[in-house]
Amino acid sequence: MKIKLTINGASYEKDVAENRTLLRFLREDLGLTGTKEGCGAGECGACTVILDGRTVNACMVLAAEVDGASVKTIEGEARDGKLSDIQQAFDRHHAVQCGFCSSGMVLSVRELIERNPRPSVGEIKQGLEGNFCRCTGYTQIIEAVLDVTGQIDRKGEMTHA
Amino acid sequence: MIYNFKYLAPETRGELHAMLADRGPAAALLSGGTDLLVNIRNGVLRPEFVINVKKVKDFGGIAWSAEEGLIIRAGCTINDLLRDARVRADYPLLAACAHDLASYQIRNRATVVGNVANASPCSDMAAALLCLKARAVISSSRGEREVPFPEFFKGVKKTVIRPDEILERIIVPASSAGAPGDYRKLKRINGHDLAIVGVALLKQDGEIRMGISSAAPTPIYVGGLKTSDPADLVVAAALEAVHPISDVRCTREYREHMIQVYVRRLLEEVKA
Amino acid sequence: MLEHSDPSTLKHVGHSPERQEATAKLTGDAVYTSDMTLPGMLHAQIKKSPHASAIIRGIDLSRAEKLPGVRAILTGADLDYRLGLYVVDKDILAKGKVRHYGEAVVAVAADTLAIAREAVELIDVDYEVTPAVLNHMDAIKEGAPLVHPDLGSYATIPEVFSPQGGTNIANLSKCRKGDIDKGFKEAEWIVEREYTNPSVQHVPMETHVAIVEWKTGDEITIWTSAQSPFTVRGLFCYTFKLPLTKVRVIIPHVGGGFGGKAGIHMEPLVACLSRKAGGRPVKFQATREEEFSLLPCRSALTYKIKTGVRADGRICAQKMEMYWDAGAYADYAVNVTRASGYSAAGPYEIPNAWLDAYTVYTNKPYGTAYRGFGHVEFFWGLERHMELVAQTIGMDPLAFRRLNLLRPGSLTLTGEKITEHTGDIRKCLDSVAAGIHYGELTAAEQARELQTGLKIGKGLATLHKAPAMPPFTATAVIMKMNSDGTVLVNVGLTEIGQGSTTAFAQIAAERLGFPLDKVTVTVEKDTDRDPYDWQTVASKGLMLTGNALILACDDLLKNAYEVAGQALRAQPCDLEHDGGRIYIKHNHDKSVSFSQLSVGYCYPDGNAIGGPLIGVGRYVAQGLTNLDKATGQGLPALDWTYGAHGIIVEVNPASGEFHLLKICSAYDVGKAINPDMVRGQCIGGMIQGLGTALCEGYIYDEQGHLLNPSFTDNKIPTARDIPDEIECIIVETPQLDGPFGARGVGEHPMIAVAPALGNAIRDAVGAELTHMPIRAEDVWRAMGRKEPVETWITRTPTGSCRSVLL
Repeated sequence: MKIKLTINGASYEKDVAENRTLLRFLREDLGLTGTKEGCGAGECGACTVILDGRTVNACMVLAAEVDGASVKTIEGEARDGKLSDIQQAFDRHHAVQCGFCSSGMVLSVRELIERNPRPSVGEIKQGLEGNFCRCTGYTQIIEAVLDVTGQIDRKGEMTHA
Repeated sequence: MIYNFKYLAPETRGELHAMLADRGPAAALLSGGTDLLVNIRNGVLRPEFVINVKKVKDFGGIAWSAEEGLIIRAGCTINDLLRDARVRADYPLLAACAHDLASYQIRNRATVVGNVANASPCSDMAAALLCLKARAVISSSRGEREVPFPEFFKGVKKTVIRPDEILERIIVPASSAGAPGDYRKLKRINGHDLAIVGVALLKQDGEIRMGISSAAPTPIYVGGLKTSDPADLVVAAALEAVHPISDVRCTREYREHMIQVYVRRLLEEVKA
Repeated sequence: MLEHSDPSTLKHVGHSPERQEATAKLTGDAVYTSDMTLPGMLHAQIKKSPHASAIIRGIDLSRAEKLPGVRAILTGADLDYRLGLYVVDKDILAKGKVRHYGEAVVAVAADTLAIAREAVELIDVDYEVTPAVLNHMDAIKEGAPLVHPDLGSYATIPEVFSPQGGTNIANLSKCRKGDIDKGFKEAEWIVEREYTNPSVQHVPMETHVAIVEWKTGDEITIWTSAQSPFTVRGLFCYTFKLPLTKVRVIIPHVGGGFGGKAGIHMEPLVACLSRKAGGRPVKFQATREEEFSLLPCRSALTYKIKTGVRADGRICAQKMEMYWDAGAYADYAVNVTRASGYSAAGPYEIPNAWLDAYTVYTNKPYGTAYRGFGHVEFFWGLERHMELVAQTIGMDPLAFRRLNLLRPGSLTLTGEKITEHTGDIRKCLDSVAAGIHYGELTAAEQARELQTGLKIGKGLATLHKAPAMPPFTATAVIMKMNSDGTVLVNVGLTEIGQGSTTAFAQIAAERLGFPLDKVTVTVEKDTDRDPYDWQTVASKGLMLTGNALILACDDLLKNAYEVAGQALRAQPCDLEHDGGRIYIKHNHDKSVSFSQLSVGYCYPDGNAIGGPLIGVGRYVAQGLTNLDKATGQGLPALDWTYGAHGIIVEVNPASGEFHLLKICSAYDVGKAINPDMVRGQCIGGMIQGLGTALCEGYIYDEQGHLLNPSFTDNKIPTARDIPDEIECIIVETPQLDGPFGARGVGEHPMIAVAPALGNAIRDAVGAELTHMPIRAEDVWRAMGRKEPVETWITRTPTGSCRSVLL
């Protein structure tokens, strides 16, 4: 079947298999491999995209369902080759290690701060519980979010004994 | 790996009912998709047709009616419910059960209707709806019928919904509005997890009503209790109504223990 | 080598510049093997065993073979190759019998994933189920079913490993120090207990994936999400009897490894499919469920410790028995056993020690390397035991540890002498004890207890680890100057998220005296281009490759100075340089730029000297020895990284629910090359350790089916599961032979988190936990001294959980 949608502001019109997930559609049919598959079952959040303004797990959405919709993927976060404020904050705070969760994590943060411009640490933790990270232990990610929302102005530090 | 199916997206109730009349047993209804697509991926369900109900006119969001109360439609997501200030104010128990359901991304897609129609014994929303005297409105080409939630669940993942029917909307009566209530659910981590055991407790007009999840093949309703009853009695009634099992998530003994703990906690913390 | 550099003069080392490859990762530009497609690529799927132990009576491929789009099918009968890092015990596909739930039996390559999946479903395998042995403590008994009846005939490295043919023992490692019987005779108290923990999975966010192309003439290219390109190439060529020049291994970005991708896994099978399909590239990506059962996990462990203590509180003897549940294949497990063996007593002075460590086969998914290489598992028992010993003799646990910790002059279990440069374990322990106000509740904590009715407890644990690696581990670095004076560095050590790329750039920039933005370390690995590195494991990369890097910088500069000397008509010893040029010390105006030298220097008349500037550095571990097979004595440790954790926990005495208020961790890293990245490793590793402590663990039914093969029931920590407060402390006792004094810390933060928590819970409510994970139910049971939950192999019905082979 044919679907028409906007992805990162650009229009697409494509034939899709009826059982195609949005995740596979993005990665394999469109070559937008920034969105990752971590479990395929809606648990890990590696495939988080923003659909009509709300984050969803793309593995749990059929491409057929997004006919007429607007999708944002990680490829739409940086503009004109410049990292966004969130991406820069992640960079500054070393909130990226292997990077596999980063696409989904950045978009979850984007949507979080759009609906809650000054989230508390507890709200950040709850907002990001659907994005697994096995590398960072989440702390530097939380610090990046506090930074980008103007709540801290320095990096977390280690003590020297 | 998604198994092959045909996708249908009716735009009116009539179309939807006709599809169900024709293909009911071979079809699965898609609202949020967060249970259905996992089940298809895992080979648990192999429907020939997947019918997306979100494009049906008047199936989205919620509505308010003076006589009926809150009407939760088939396309209303968990987050749609949580975002509504009036829902949070009038039905705090609904919000309590909704806010820790899965993860934020799942709540943006999962629907209340889907959650109860899936009829997992772990359903968080069922616990609330049982306490709130909510009714399921089930429709088909043959008309509409209402089923109070205590009669809605028949077994593990089994409800009274027939193959040609759809749980079209849920009515949460105006009479339950304003009743204080809260939900406690045992999880294995602080992060998103299904209910290992869950207790919803509501106080209204001197009555205590409870909904218990993950302690029986279906979510269980416990009524007939008064706010004047001693805690031990309420606990005993809860334990009497359930028969939890031991599985990989928890043992029967700890489930029973935590039901007690939660009932006592809620009795104290829910202020009539 | 150590640079006794004044920290105030260091421009790059000790600072925290941003990660070199962060932009690629943050924008979705970074390509991982799972993102790759190649022209003509086929997709592979695998038919896996639903049984823990069975004979394969027959395989019917007829329906699958007829399916259009199927290009290759392989069964065990088609492949006569054996794999094994240390004990060669594994066929590429099960031959004649299956040994664990989830084992690969048939492999299919087809035009699309859907066709491959359908083909797998059309294949019928006729099994005759045979008795499985699931619990390793049953597997070592006389008469237990043998997982490998032919164990005695398997190739191995006899100098290092001792498989016991005719049993389920894949290896027995021993350590004998002093006189154990005499030691126990001196003891005033003898304390004995057993500790256990289950298998867990690494859970890298990117599952295992490989693409292999086996072209005409055995020209093979492998793209894989892996940690060790040279190990993949080496083992592959060993298995298929090919010269190393035939195989090229390429590793793009890697979505996490944690040891699970340290060796060789799916590459040989995928390669065989490609060969069968006429050389077309074939891709296999594990589903998350396959990651949990087809791919390996971490061995489970039963650890029995018997400690003798003198009247003055000093440990005089310790007898240790480790029983490692390796699952169906030995893989890395035999080495985990060996490496844990020599570390098993922890950072304590034990004059008389006896250790027997067994690697035991069972019919379950098998254990491979996992961050910590056994240390997370055995420190659970060890640090819970130290706590028990202290309690038993009536000594404060902190004082007991301080009394017994290794000190300069102490000998380790293998007879290595500790010096004041080895590291400062006392400072680590004291720092964390102070960080949590160990031994008392603050006024605020007391008030909190009164207000909430919950109990607050505090616990400590120490840790140590040396890299588990061969004594001849080597690495090399090649540094090439570009014609614009920038430098490109090739290393064989793989970036798996730990930050090696950036740390190496900092070290190189520091040693070269260049600005950081002039140094690039390549991220993608390619065995055709990159110089050899043994493996990206063991927390040895920073030290060994860092040293090689320094040597490569020196080599590059030496080459540059030679040419510059000629160009400037000066002695190299009269020259100096900055980030852009080489100049005469006593006449700064006389200079030549690096870019002028970079690919050969050209005189005004056209004569040329020199050539492309390339620096080579190679470093091999020095002075290490093998361990004596009978006594375990020797010098295996490149370095020791010490550390400690202090945890404050709040426990509900009515329910067993608990919450971590604070964790304070300290590590002696020698020198933090990039403190923010060190902090990232510290916190990340600690949270992974917390996962092991709180919620991770494989659960099987009595037939050996894995009941939690997905995230539904195999949980890992989320952002909501981290302690309220996290403090990281670093101690910097310079490693004399480490680059700028640095030693590794990649694995260490995982170690000993669990026992620190177990000790804190005991402090809070008296619950004695001897098994991981620690869930609310376990605390409740321990408080009430009820029967512990049989967590690994359930006696009870499975209820709503299903084994799903996906």
